[in-house]
Amino acid sequence: MIRVLFFGPVAERVGLRQTDLPFREGLRWQDVRDEMRTRHGEAFAFVAIVAVNGVRVSEQHNTPLTDGAEIAFMSNFSGG
Amino acid sequence: MSAVVRLQEEDFSLDTEIVALRASSQRIGGIATFLGCARDFSEGRQVSEISFDAYQPMALAEMEKLRLDAIERFSLIDARLVHRLGTVRAGDNIVLIATGAEHRAPALEACRWLIDELKARAPIWKKEITPQGDAWVTPHP
Repeated sequence: MIRVLFFGPVAERVGLRQTDLPFREGLRWQDVRDEMRTRHGEAFAFVAIVAVNGVRVSEQHNTPLTDGAEIAFMSNFSGG
Repeated sequence: MSAVVRLQEEDFSLDTEIVALRASSQRIGGIATFLGCARDFSEGRQVSEISFDAYQPMALAEMEKLRLDAIERFSLIDARLVHRLGTVRAGDNIVLIATGAEHRAPALEACRWLIDELKARAPIWKKEITPQGDAWVTPHP
């Protein structure tokens, strides 16, 4: 299973803080993003930062996900 | 003694944090602090409260890494970072950075660097609660 997390403005627009996706071999974070974008397109306009297992990833990060991975889709931070 | 890096709903005490920082070493010759507070006015609107959301495990890990980076980069003796979550009222404390070094310059520079980096790297979001409605805050440079 892949755990998908949303926070702040993204969570508010998605209407969820967490959802799960079935794991499959070779799945990349971009595949999860594409799936989530299909479901929650408008909210994903606010996504600027993605983290896999708590570490920021870029578009070039192509390492397949492992079962149990956690992906967070986040807008720009505004703490402090 | 409380942890040197914390996310917490309850308020913190500037005095207590400075006492803890000073207790870490008598080599400290200068302490700099940044205290972020909740303003009651923003973007032309009265603000009554600010609520915070965070990806807590990642935010804490980033803040702990920032502290270690600052200690190395500015040759600090010690540093403490505390950020509140939940909901705070206008005028309340939000965030505290306290840095201790042998001399004032690295303490001051590290303090500025830490709050700037925290804003950019810690996954925390704030929403202003106003009579006209709620609004997520857009990051400021």
